[in-house]
Amino acid sequence: MIVAAIVVLSCGVVSPIGEGDVGGGGSGDDLGESISRAELVEASRFASQSTFGMNYEGLEEIATTGRNAWLEQQFNTPPSFLKPIAEDLITRQDSGEWEEFVENPFKLRNVIHRFAWWQRTMTGPDVVRQRVAYALSQFFVVSDRVATLSNNPYALTSFYDILLRNAFGNYRDMLRDVALSPAMGLYLSHANNTRADPDRNIFPDENFAREVMQLFSIGLYELNIDGSVKSDSEGNPIPTYDNDDIAEMAKVFTGLTYAGPGHYWGRKYFYHADPWVFSLPMIMYDGYHEPGEKVLLNGTVVPAGQSGMDDIEVAIDNLFNHPNVAPFFCKQLIQRLVTSNPSPQYIERVARAFNGDTGSPRGDMKTVLRAIFFDPEAEVLGGASTFGRLREPAVRVVSLARTFNYTSDSGDFFNTGYRLAYLVGQHPLSSPSVFNFFQPNYSPIGELANNRMVAPEFQITNATTIVGLTNQIGLAIFYENMAFHTYQPPFETPRIDLSDYEALAGTASDLVDRLDLVLTQGQLSRGTRDIVLETLDRVDDPRQRAMVAIYLILISPDYAVED
Amino acid sequence: MATRRRFLSHSCGLGVAAATVSTTGLTLGLTRSVSASTVDGYKALVCILLSGGNDSFNMILPNDEDQYGEYSKIRSDLALDRSTLLALPGENDDGRSYAVHPGLGEVRQMYESGDLAIVANVGTLVEPLDGKDVDRGKARVPLGLFSHSDQIAQWQSAISYSRTSSHGWGGRMADLIDPNPANGLSMNISLTGNNLFQTGKHVSPYSVYFEGDGASTVWSYPQLWLNGIDINQVTDDLLDVEHNNMLRREYSRRLRGAIDNRDTFVSAVRSAPEMQTQFSENYLSGSLKQIARVIAGRHMIGQSRQTFFVNLGGWDHHDGVLDYQSTMLPIVSRALNEFRSALSELGEFDNVVTFTISDFGRTLTSNGKGSDHGWGGHHMVMGGPVRGGSFYGTYPELSESSPLDVGRGIYIPTTAVEQYFAELALWFGVAPGNLDEVLPAVRNFYSPSSSEAPMGFLV
Repeated sequence: MIVAAIVVLSCGVVSPIGEGDVGGGGSGDDLGESISRAELVEASRFASQSTFGMNYEGLEEIATTGRNAWLEQQFNTPPSFLKPIAEDLITRQDSGEWEEFVENPFKLRNVIHRFAWWQRTMTGPDVVRQRVAYALSQFFVVSDRVATLSNNPYALTSFYDILLRNAFGNYRDMLRDVALSPAMGLYLSHANNTRADPDRNIFPDENFAREVMQLFSIGLYELNIDGSVKSDSEGNPIPTYDNDDIAEMAKVFTGLTYAGPGHYWGRKYFYHADPWVFSLPMIMYDGYHEPGEKVLLNGTVVPAGQSGMDDIEVAIDNLFNHPNVAPFFCKQLIQRLVTSNPSPQYIERVARAFNGDTGSPRGDMKTVLRAIFFDPEAEVLGGASTFGRLREPAVRVVSLARTFNYTSDSGDFFNTGYRLAYLVGQHPLSSPSVFNFFQPNYSPIGELANNRMVAPEFQITNATTIVGLTNQIGLAIFYENMAFHTYQPPFETPRIDLSDYEALAGTASDLVDRLDLVLTQGQLSRGTRDIVLETLDRVDDPRQRAMVAIYLILISPDYAVED
Repeated sequence: MATRRRFLSHSCGLGVAAATVSTTGLTLGLTRSVSASTVDGYKALVCILLSGGNDSFNMILPNDEDQYGEYSKIRSDLALDRSTLLALPGENDDGRSYAVHPGLGEVRQMYESGDLAIVANVGTLVEPLDGKDVDRGKARVPLGLFSHSDQIAQWQSAISYSRTSSHGWGGRMADLIDPNPANGLSMNISLTGNNLFQTGKHVSPYSVYFEGDGASTVWSYPQLWLNGIDINQVTDDLLDVEHNNMLRREYSRRLRGAIDNRDTFVSAVRSAPEMQTQFSENYLSGSLKQIARVIAGRHMIGQSRQTFFVNLGGWDHHDGVLDYQSTMLPIVSRALNEFRSALSELGEFDNVVTFTISDFGRTLTSNGKGSDHGWGGHHMVMGGPVRGGSFYGTYPELSESSPLDVGRGIYIPTTAVEQYFAELALWFGVAPGNLDEVLPAVRNFYSPSSSEAPMGFLV
């Protein structure tokens, strides 16, 4: 009865398509010999928080294995890195395999990192790792919207691979790897950042030094363990750092440049010159590193006379051991994966897990993720008026492609993302700035602000993007292949496979029950359900019935917000 | 200098809980709002945000020998070659001469023809300030100085004593002037999505695309209409479903608002006449073209006041400031000129004021590749009502020992954003008695009962 949700194809590429039994069932209650609907609902909720979406067979597998055991399996599943895909495409492009991309190299070069991202997101067996890495990419932000990264697939895929590699590792390693990554060095300009030359009015670049504190580790204000802001005796928030701290931190991040054979100080990014060096961590040129003592946060002294790399290790430890990191980082991870407005108690439980209070090493990501997913607050199904999060537009589209078995004969799931970005205003690795697509404290005016709730994803939900997303969903369902935009030929555009749902479509309530399970975690409202059933009364063709039902639920507020 | 800088940076944490906003009798007896129907004529404000923090000391710079010399010394490897500068005519009141960046040919031309003014060294302040105040330890300064997220928000909120404002001064103007537009379409129209400037307590911006007719409808598909399914009706029904969850309710409201406003908006831009003016193919020019079309078709919308917002990003030039500005400033210069030409052609130039804002100015000193986050910066105002060809505010005297320099060549603003925006708001039709509601800290810099204009750059 239970089948693998994932089929490894001969080429080593993995397809999300299961060889399920679905289709013969008919009755919505026929959910297998041993799995109850309640267990499947629970699995669906968990999958919706921890993956980019699962098809029905995937939910069966989670329910059968049990969520805890399944998560441990996922922890042990090796990462599906992005760089090998980029490498393959670059090699083939450079060998002249595609005449079009010889004549117009940037047409492909500019989207290789996106091709790699979609390939892994659609097919990687490490489904939790891929989803968590995406959440991390909204905390440690780089973006293809700058020219030096848009055509630099080695830099971007290697950066994302850092997040994949450390998603189940340790936050400290991740912070260090991010700090030394050429993508970040390009994006926040601490690559080729040189020691001061006061006589010439030249001082170290403060860009990375500022943002590594504000965004990647401790945030602006001192926090309590439950994420609330500490106050001084006059009731004012207490800044975690000042401009002098930034200047000191900036001194630490001097002397780094790009590595690779023939490396030299001041190496720049040139499209034609050994772009693969941008997959190597940056290296230190001590002669360009600011000498002397630096005083970091909480009076931590970086002694004079040690190497630049030693300075950086001290600085990373200084940030990593700051008491703000746990609540600051964990709250945002909860917001990306589970709910926009976690209770202080929920934040505290996860933050304590981060801090090692439960016996794991400080910063252990597996411990943090277990704490996030298996918290009682994450597991309660439906009902609360303030719980949940607006699904990100890009995730809604990825998720429909996975849930409804988008498939391709070639095994390619390449997407330029251009249509998606235009219609919904979002694409992974393409934030407008280092402040991500939206800010964690964004509170829409009206009912939500009046109730002191935040809803970050609403910051990119406006008249153009909300209609654009509705239309992108329609294209992806009714036109069957338009979740993807690729260059065809040479590549194939994946297509939707609705056969499971056509088979269920004879009985409208069975169809809607199944969709309620995989999409809305059994929480579809009565009103929306009735509208879908009434609309289905007008449609006879099973395929069209499936499409109409899927489309209506996907555009409904019920699905837009996971509660 | 070090002492001052140390104080400054720590003072960010001082409690500047609320600026002293006195609500005197001045506001009493006046109608609470400027009702759109009672305001004569049509006026529009167009806000161009150069996000990231434009290095405006290389946009507008001294051109006399003495001050160019100081400029060149401080800016080091970031100094523009004097021979490439485009000189502005005449001397300013300070007896000095100035120039603009070589990429700003159209800007210089508009300055010469009186259509564009410069607002010098403006920035966020809690109270008027100079370096001596800072030295004496008496300074109250904006919270989160030099930080993008804080300063970009404070430029839009005009509230420098908070790091968490949820309303902008354009939104507060809309709350006053047109909180409940008859046809539902917001007075504030954004070409760049949700933004703080245009968000009030009641009013949110209406977002449009810079391409096409600006707004899209929810599409139907053969699988729907061939089966007699009216997607508009079904969508309406879906959005009528009542939800317990507040996020779901918000989603329903937003999708419904988008659908309801679309027809009004599209009919307006479609009614605009063809323009002779050719706009460049880029985001800023495209956005300004779309704005010109809305203004031309505004009789279909029926509002006598509108604000528009465009965010042109990519100005955070820690690296490559010289190269980037030499490509990006000409885009701004050309776009402004195209917009001027289009508005003139439509007979609307006298009704529209366009102004720039940015997160902050940047350090005059270099980091070896570019410049870092600063404070005061220079801005441009363009339009028929602008008393162009002049500087407003004070261009600071550049010197390594300037009392305004708080370190690394970061200059304290000599004009507050409140003064800059008060001039715009009063022109727009906000009554002096209502200015406090739009700019809560304005009285720290300007008395609304004054017979003088806040800055004087508008007729």
